[in-house]
Amino acid sequence: MSDAVESIVGHIQSLSSSPIQLDQLHRFLNRREKQLRSESTHLLSALPQLDPSLHSLGYLYIVDGYTTAHDTKELPDEFVSIIGRFLNTCSANQIRLAPEKFVAVCRRLKDQVMLIQSPIRGVAPLRAAIRKLQASPEHLTAIHPDFLLLCLSAKCYRTGLAVLEDDVYEVENSKDLLLYGYYGGMICIGQKCFRKALDLLHNVITAPMANLSAVAVEAYKKYVLVSLIHLGQFIPDFPKYISATAEKNLKSYAQPYLELAVTYDTGKVTELERCVQKHQERFQKDNNFGLVRQVVSSTYKRNVQRLTQTYLTLSLQDIADRVQLNSSKEAEMLVLQMIQDGEIFATINQKDGMVRFLEDPEQYRSCEMVERIDSSMQRMMMLSKKLTATNEALSCDPAFLTKVGKERSPMLDLDDYDPALEHFM
Amino acid sequence: MASSSSSNLTFKLHPLVMLNISDHYTRVKSQSAGPPHSAALASAPPPLRVFGCVIGVQRGRTVEIFNSFELLFDDSTHSLDRAFLIKKQELYKKVFPNFYVLGWYSTGSDAEESDMIIHKSLMDINESPVFVLLNPSVNHAQKDLPITIFESELHIIDAVPQLIFVRSSYSIETVEAERISVDHVAHLKPSDGGSAATQCNPPLLIIVECLIAASFVRDKTPMYSAIKMLNSRIRVLHHYLLAMEKGDMPCENSLLRQVSSLLRRLPTVESAKFQDDFLMDYNDTLFVSYLAMLTNCSSTMNDLVDKFNTAYDRNSRRGGRTAFI
Repeated sequence: MSDAVESIVGHIQSLSSSPIQLDQLHRFLNRREKQLRSESTHLLSALPQLDPSLHSLGYLYIVDGYTTAHDTKELPDEFVSIIGRFLNTCSANQIRLAPEKFVAVCRRLKDQVMLIQSPIRGVAPLRAAIRKLQASPEHLTAIHPDFLLLCLSAKCYRTGLAVLEDDVYEVENSKDLLLYGYYGGMICIGQKCFRKALDLLHNVITAPMANLSAVAVEAYKKYVLVSLIHLGQFIPDFPKYISATAEKNLKSYAQPYLELAVTYDTGKVTELERCVQKHQERFQKDNNFGLVRQVVSSTYKRNVQRLTQTYLTLSLQDIADRVQLNSSKEAEMLVLQMIQDGEIFATINQKDGMVRFLEDPEQYRSCEMVERIDSSMQRMMMLSKKLTATNEALSCDPAFLTKVGKERSPMLDLDDYDPALEHFM
Repeated sequence: MASSSSSNLTFKLHPLVMLNISDHYTRVKSQSAGPPHSAALASAPPPLRVFGCVIGVQRGRTVEIFNSFELLFDDSTHSLDRAFLIKKQELYKKVFPNFYVLGWYSTGSDAEESDMIIHKSLMDINESPVFVLLNPSVNHAQKDLPITIFESELHIIDAVPQLIFVRSSYSIETVEAERISVDHVAHLKPSDGGSAATQCNPPLLIIVECLIAASFVRDKTPMYSAIKMLNSRIRVLHHYLLAMEKGDMPCENSLLRQVSSLLRRLPTVESAKFQDDFLMDYNDTLFVSYLAMLTNCSSTMNDLVDKFNTAYDRNSRRGGRTAFI
């Protein structure tokens, strides 16, 4: 091992105990970065001398020096396990001093793991890494999209879902948000949590965008389909907080999907099938064909739900006819499934094959309901506090003030009251 | 005739008076609409007016109207039945020695000239009587109570001193017992048989609704401070019992007995039906608060989005967009 590396290792070992020492170490390592990169061949052998949990910062720099010098294909096999161990055991305070390097190392891990085609090896380390880098559970790091991508490839949907449970309030990079929302949406679709998927995809579409992003286009296509499955309808109007670029351009890229939405509204399964057939190639190219098939099967459910609004009792054969199913047996299975899922309230009388539709039996007079409302109210109060804080911060924002000031100056007419000004006047 | 009073008297009206007047009006109205052949005449019914007397207490500049009773109006002499009035007054004096005849009431949409005659006739009992007017026409858009209080003042009009009616402001004063009964009347649902009262008595309904709304905010403050005090007292007791358990305080059996008897007093009602109703009411109130918070949040969010669009979007004027959440 060369002298330079020896001295670096020596420094790391001595200067890793207190925050002041860590600062010193940080500056020292920054100065020696070039050296680290040039001596990259010796670096790996230096690693066993350091303890990843005590000397995390130094370890990080060495690993980073090594990975920047070498291409992904050249990395040795034990690299994944080394990094994995590091990510699991490193100390959060130390690595937060050099976040970009940490993110870079994580990215290399992801690339390596995808290359050797065992993404599952990267899931647990990256999950630990997220928790260590995050300032708080509401913070979206650059590691999140990589982690979700690995979860998708490894089919560990539940781990991904656990990370998606946290609401995100702080975002560093808009690309992170787009990818996070897109991958997160796909994971939720995989777990059939359509409501959360809809939320995440909605965030992707309405994120501020100067130029149209391909992620947003794909997200929009999935959004249309999930909206049809979960809500039974798709409203083509955009909310007012969507960016101008998205508003103008998204629809042109998703024509087949919008057509599908329109045919879905009619409720006729044959029409829907025809539309699917017409655009089948396009759906398959976009890898959305599975979702499209789910859309078709959800039409039956939607039709049954529509029936509950008109009829009190109906025979199974009638249901089969109206919903365009093939036999009353199929109708019975479908209704049974829907009752179990809680999508409708009904009783099936097997003796005479009649189904009676019931009202929602929830009387709202139980203690559980009190707890539910209470917890919702607590969440709402927190959200309200955050909103007021953001609102005030935005009012002091120079971009906002200059824009509003510009609008006011040509008109000195006090009668021309801009409502945006009311709140901070 | 409808300028505002300058006498600086504060009027306090009790709900009982309003309920009495409304009840009187409805009773007479439903009794006179009896025989079916009069349905032909029902196309132009003459406005029905009922009359009566209001009694209460006047302390300094505060006039508090507690109760009322009915009087017959003699159309021929345009005066109230004086003998009956005096007899009723004496009867009330026996039960409520403090109450005096403060004035009179009637129904209608506005005070009329002929009312001044009645008003003047009462001036020998009370030198400045009040005139309480209930408007029985049901106006659902109106959010205020359909009750006006008039005083008489001497104004110089066309160099002739005349007594005219002037409006006075008033406030609603409730005693606990009244609040409970008003609450009870308000919650009678149409499915109960007993609510035929509110169904054929629209003025009553409006009065009751306005009363509930008006008293909701004000009456809750004493309740809130009472609950706060109860909470702090219970905390003191709890603390004391904990200290006794730990051994910091000497064990006093008599006090323990008192505490245990206090605890056994509640809950007074313990049945499944009570739990059901209680939880349903509780959930209703919670839902209302939840709705209020949701609306608050949505409005802040809306403001935020507008500001963001103004600050960061290239085309700041985005009118005509349909907003969906």
